Order: sequence, then structure tokens, then C-alpha cells
Amino acid sequence: MKIDPEKNCPFSTDAAPFGDVVLSSRARLARNLEGFPFVNRSATSDCMEVTSLVRRICENDNTRLSLEWVDMDELDVTTTQMFVERHLISSHLAESTHPRAIAVGPELSRSVMVNEEDHVRIQSIRPGLQLHETRDDVHTLDLSIEEVIAYAFDEQLGFITACPTNLGTGARFSVMLHLPGLRIINDLPRVHQATQSMSLAIRGYRGEGSGTVADLFQVSNQLTLGETEENLCNILSDKFLPPVIEWERRARMHIAKEQSSKLDDQTFRAIGVLRNARILTPEEAMNCLGSIRLGVCLDRITDVEISTINKLMIEIHPGHLRWKYGTELTDEEINCCRADLIREKIGT
Amino acid sequence: MTTCDHCDKPAIFHDVRIVNNVHNTTHLCAEHALEAGVNLGPVDLSVVFDSVSEMTQNISSKACSDCGMTIAQYKKQSLLGCPTCYESFHDELLPIIAKVQNNNSQHVGRAPNQLNVQVGRTLQMRRLLKKLESAVNKEEYEQAANIRDQIRELHNPDDLHEN
Repeated sequence: MKIDPEKNCPFSTDAAPFGDVVLSSRARLARNLEGFPFVNRSATSDCMEVTSLVRRICENDNTRLSLEWVDMDELDVTTTQMFVERHLISSHLAESTHPRAIAVGPELSRSVMVNEEDHVRIQSIRPGLQLHETRDDVHTLDLSIEEVIAYAFDEQLGFITACPTNLGTGARFSVMLHLPGLRIINDLPRVHQATQSMSLAIRGYRGEGSGTVADLFQVSNQLTLGETEENLCNILSDKFLPPVIEWERRARMHIAKEQSSKLDDQTFRAIGVLRNARILTPEEAMNCLGSIRLGVCLDRITDVEISTINKLMIEIHPGHLRWKYGTELTDEEINCCRADLIREKIGT
Repeated sequence: MTTCDHCDKPAIFHDVRIVNNVHNTTHLCAEHALEAGVNLGPVDLSVVFDSVSEMTQNISSKACSDCGMTIAQYKKQSLLGCPTCYESFHDELLPIIAKVQNNNSQHVGRAPNQLNVQVGRTLQMRRLLKKLESAVNKEEYEQAANIRDQIRELHNPDDLHEN
């Protein structure tokens, strides 16, 4: 499969509503096929049968959905890693060894993972705050898939999933937020309280179990049962996000006014590192990019576009760097390539 | 892997705070994070299981009639083996589902299109009842009356055509 990672960055700011705070929106549906054990209990033959059944979505209807089918075992390590870095597939799917596949749209924003934790995981990711659009994307895919396969469904429990935390709608809506302002003024507890009162979960950049990097946070619905898909999406998109975006913008304005020396110091220190460093770890690069992003949003830096930073936040990860500079590079060499790429994109 | 500040288990919650130039880092395992009131996101079922372990202690050898999975195996990996597990372990799973789904136990979202009309009607009824409850709680009585009319229509679909 040929893809061009230069195109269609999920953090692209082209047409990204509220892109100063919301980097991306994602919707995911978990589904299982009737009559099959869940993936963790499946024999290789079961997994193969499930992939061949789901594959019909590409064979029967490729004009409407425009999905390309890729068996994961045929995908090279670098492209697999890139897909993980773009949140198109999960690390779990990438690292598993049983028969599994992905059907992916040419724009690299829609994907169907086959034989992940559930037989089918339908996903859409878009830049900025576009949760309702991602919900429409996965709903369209869902309807097309159920034309060719029978889902496991129970009148009481809804769509049946391997883990009870996904039961019911099987829907998980999430947004990636950049909240440096609230972190600096120590007001993140307010966001935590809001997530708790609305049954939402807040986590670090790489999801479950990951620490915080570059002030990036993922927020998603915790419940999947007892609410409609529309309501779950509304709670996050229309109830939780508007005040949080407002708080973050106010916090940034407050910092620009009251802590301008500290802000300038952090911003120019970070850009100094990125414009001069010859070796950069992913964590150091991400944290510096996060600081510069705040500086750009507050007009402290005017010669770097926010879209450049957003793209770099994806392209500095190992899979993308190996795709660009060579698949055989060691981790140490990749750290040098990361510094080179950043200097190339934002150097003076 | 970073371990919890209070025990040797792997930390799954990480928090860094800088207050008055003092750098504070917190690493917590699932158990201690929950104890500290941290919102962990999709709940770690092993922790939930421990909290309802008294109920499950005596049935750990019970097996699913379809795939053969036991409750003990489920407890270990937090994943069920097949759709039938939900029937086989119905009584054991109910408190777990209630806990992770905030006491919700009935689906009100969409159903596959190929399902029969009666199931679709039941789900629609549940959605309307939920809306009605919400409208009454908010004292939006006009909207509640509209929803009540819709519920009546759903009960007697033929009346619609007769009118």
C-alpha cells in the first residue's frame, strides 16, 4: 500500500474549527460478528473467517466507501508504525500476531480495524472540533458494514462487546486538547471536575496509561450504555467543550498579560532548542513544540505557522521519520533525524 | 516502567504540577488512583472485580456454555470470551456492568437495521421514556406532553392511521 504521510495530517489546521485548543476529534464504534467467539478466544481459523467476511465491505462496495483493504501481516513495519502514530490503528492491532486487517480510506481519516479487541472497530478522525462529522462518518460505515455481516446485538445490552466498558452503543467519542494555559495557571483541576461531573475520562497523549506530553490531553466518554450515540457526542461536543475552550482561551490571555516574561522565556527557550539542537528525543521535541504552539497562538512567534507545528507533532515520531529518512535507522540516528526535520521546518 | 508512589504496581496515572516553582510528580496505580478519586477513564475491570470479589469468589470455576471461559479467566484478562458469556455469567456481570456504566443497564442507542420491528419499537420506547424523565426533571412540561403523545402513538400505531 502506498500512502503519502505529507498529506492529510489528522492535526491539520485547514478547516479545523477551534483548532487553537482542539487538535483533533475522533469517533469509534466497537462491533462483533454474531456466531463467533471474541478475538481473545478465537482460533486462527475464526480470525481468518471474520476477516474474509468483513473484507466484503471493500469488495462489494468500494465505490461508495472507497476503502482499501490491507492485511496487517502484509503491511511493512514502518507503515504500521505510521498508522499507529496517526491514531488510524491501535498499538494492540499493530502488535498482535493473529490474522487481522485494516480497511482504510484514501484520505487516511477513516478506518475499520478487523480483529482488534472486537471483531470490528470503525473509526474516523478529523482535525479540530468536528465530533458530529466523525459521528456521521462512522455511522455511514456502520450501516454499510451491517449490510454484509450480522452484528452480535442484544435488546437489553445493545451491541455486544468483549469488554463490558464498551457495551451498548460501542461508541467512544474523543478529542485531543492542547491546554497549556490551564496547566500554567494551575486550573486543570477544573477540567478534571468537569469530566467527572459529565462521566467523561481525561488521559494523556497516547491514551490509557500514558503520561502528559506537551500539555496534550485526550477526553472521551466513559459510558457507552444507557445513552444514545447522539447524546454521548453532544455531552462532549456541546456541553463539555465550549466552557473548556473558553477557560483555556482566558487562561492564555491572562498569561499573556500577567506573566508575559515567563511566557516569552518558555516560548523562546523552546524555539532556541528546536532551532539549534542536533539530537532530540520525542518527549523533548513534543514538549518544545507544545510551548511554541502556545507562543504562536499568543502572537509571540510570528514566523512559524500553527499548521507547521501541528504537522510536526505527528511527523517527528519514529514511524514517520523512518519513512522519510530510512527504515534501517537506529533509535539514536532517528533522534538526529528528528532534530534535522524540525530545523528544516522551523529553522531561521 | 514507572511504579506507583504507594506500592510496587505499575503506575497508570501520572500527574506533574509546578506550584511556586516547586515541581511535584505523582504516579499512581489503578487502585491508589481510584482511592485518590482520580478519574481514570474507561474503568480498569480488575479493580472493579476486586471490589465485587466477595460475590464472585464462589463461582470462579463456572464456565460459559458456549466458549468454556470461566469467571476466573475473565477476571484475569478483563475480556469475555463470546456473546454467550453475557448469558452464562448474567448474575455475576450485572453488578460489574452497573458499576462501569454508572448504573445504566438498558441500551437506548441504535440497533442494526435488520432487526425486527418489535425490537426497534422497544428501543424507541426506552429512548422516549428517558427523554420524558429528563423533561419532567427539568420541569419542561410542554415538551414532556409532546413526548407522552409520542409514547401513546408508539403504543397504538394503528390509531395514527385511523385519525
